[in-house]
Amino acid sequence: MAGQSAATIAKTGNNPFLRAVAGLSTLAGWCAAAMIMAAVAITCQMIVIRFVLNGSTVWQTEAVIYLVISATLIGLPYVQRLRGHVNVDLIPISLPPRARFGLAVLTSLLSISIMAIMLWYGFEYWHFAWDRGWRSDTVWGVRLWIPYLAIPVGFALFLLQLIADFVALLTGADKPFGLDL
Amino acid sequence: MDPLVLGGIVALSTILVLFSGVSVALGLLIVSAGFLMIFDGMRSLELMPEILFGKLDNFALLSIPMFIIMGSSIASTRAGADLYEALERWLTRIPGGLVISNLGACALFAAMSGSSPATCAAIGKMGIPEMRKRGYPDGVAAGSIAAGGTLGILIPPSVTMIVYGIATETSIGRLFLAGVIPGFMLVGLFMAWSLYSTWRSGNTQRLSSGSYTWAERFEILPRVVPFLLIILGVLYAMYGGIATPSETAAVGALLCLLIAMVIYKLWNPRDLWVVLRDSTKESVMILFIIAAAGVFSYMLSSLFITQSIAEWIGTLDVNRWVLMGAVNVFLLIAGFFLPPVAVILMAAPILLPIITTAGFDPIWFAVVLTINMEIGLISPPVGLNLYVINGIAPDISLKTILTGSLPFVACMVLAIVLLCLFPGLATWLPNLVMGGAM
Repeated sequence: MAGQSAATIAKTGNNPFLRAVAGLSTLAGWCAAAMIMAAVAITCQMIVIRFVLNGSTVWQTEAVIYLVISATLIGLPYVQRLRGHVNVDLIPISLPPRARFGLAVLTSLLSISIMAIMLWYGFEYWHFAWDRGWRSDTVWGVRLWIPYLAIPVGFALFLLQLIADFVALLTGADKPFGLDL
Repeated sequence: MDPLVLGGIVALSTILVLFSGVSVALGLLIVSAGFLMIFDGMRSLELMPEILFGKLDNFALLSIPMFIIMGSSIASTRAGADLYEALERWLTRIPGGLVISNLGACALFAAMSGSSPATCAAIGKMGIPEMRKRGYPDGVAAGSIAAGGTLGILIPPSVTMIVYGIATETSIGRLFLAGVIPGFMLVGLFMAWSLYSTWRSGNTQRLSSGSYTWAERFEILPRVVPFLLIILGVLYAMYGGIATPSETAAVGALLCLLIAMVIYKLWNPRDLWVVLRDSTKESVMILFIIAAAGVFSYMLSSLFITQSIAEWIGTLDVNRWVLMGAVNVFLLIAGFFLPPVAVILMAAPILLPIITTAGFDPIWFAVVLTINMEIGLISPPVGLNLYVINGIAPDISLKTILTGSLPFVACMVLAIVLLCLFPGLATWLPNLVMGGAM
């Protein structure tokens, strides 16, 4: 349904840093997929309890929400590695190679800066929750630093993958915007 | 600064940033951070992670990965080919049965898989060569599949509708129902055009051919009926008030995975991982855009842009249909470049106040917007479906695919006009099933 280009996954060449980051991102992707499957399982369990056994559920809805959020944030680096974040590549495609390279450097730097900012304030937000022992205002009353942990972890891994992509671009391990034209 | 001027500057910068090739979600965050920093100071940035997290903190969002898993487990099987075969065997007697069964298979498969490119690939791989072999013009063969594939975002269950429902806080159940009649209407228009243009090309004698025994017709059913039953079951559970969309979608996802494993022998862990990986990739992509769009709309309202635009439109003395026309042109242009989900998420916070102030029904508008987005899927420059068709039928030139798709774009425009003339096409069914006005 989306308009992402058919470009394949980010290339790493033989650079050990790029391969290490790629490994980390793939691991993060497995975690995200596992969390989504856990959300499926918990939701089905909740339905069985509620509609078949006529029982009441306490923690399921909240747990599922946090699982999906964590899957999203932790999944960010993996989707970046698969080049799954949709972009408009109309202008990059139509540019000559040198200009395309320049534009790729610019967009990489912008992406890295915004994620660095998000990581900084995301860590601060998580640290608040940890420091002050915030709990969710539900019956379950989960300690909020646990779900919030996905913010700094996900953003940090995402930032790392963005930096790796930038390194791959500069060292020529990967083409600007992954375009082979 | 006047919020309206500021709004113009934000719009311009957003376009610039997005066209630079940066990913849509990050682009929205970059624009938001930039304007928040300039107009509200550095400290306003510290709210961004909190807003981003808060935007995702919603049980309704669970339905997105669930419907995506449903779709991609179906798309990973031979279900598309089987569905095509089934309709072909059952409809072969009807004149022009082949193009009708192709469009029917597209509509059903698009609804089941929720993915336009997957539909084009699954049905087109079988359908296009078959249609050409039997004398249908290349343009009709390619165009009907490209257009048929777009139906997935209109016919329920549709992820695009869910995203609209979440962005505008309208009932997902009503939105799904609103898409049903317009969806069938579009299929009907597509079929009518295909038959007419095939008849005009003078190949009528070949329109009906091939015959199947009843045994062959029944033999294929066990492979396609289960998926259809799940989709119907999911919709029934939603409208019977038995469970929320997220809950039914989770059960549907589990069942579709199981059926793919049992009927289509999707046992290999490697194949299962592909389904799971693709679902995760697509879900994360959409959810991150939702989160980033949340930050973006926070920035818009924190700088009073949303409010002033709505107010400004309110004071404008224009005919509401002129306004609707302008909104549609804007959406059409946005849809040429951006995937539907991104357009909806960016446009909804600005457009919804405008639409409701002008007295339009948000449910009805969802259908108009979705058909509008379908046009973008088969129009250059991005028009994903065109390239998918080009990939599976390389000997049909892109130009033929394009010109073949144009009449179908006209059908979609006609459908939008019909919806404007008869809003009941979209609103009648949801009102009938779920009670009158909200």
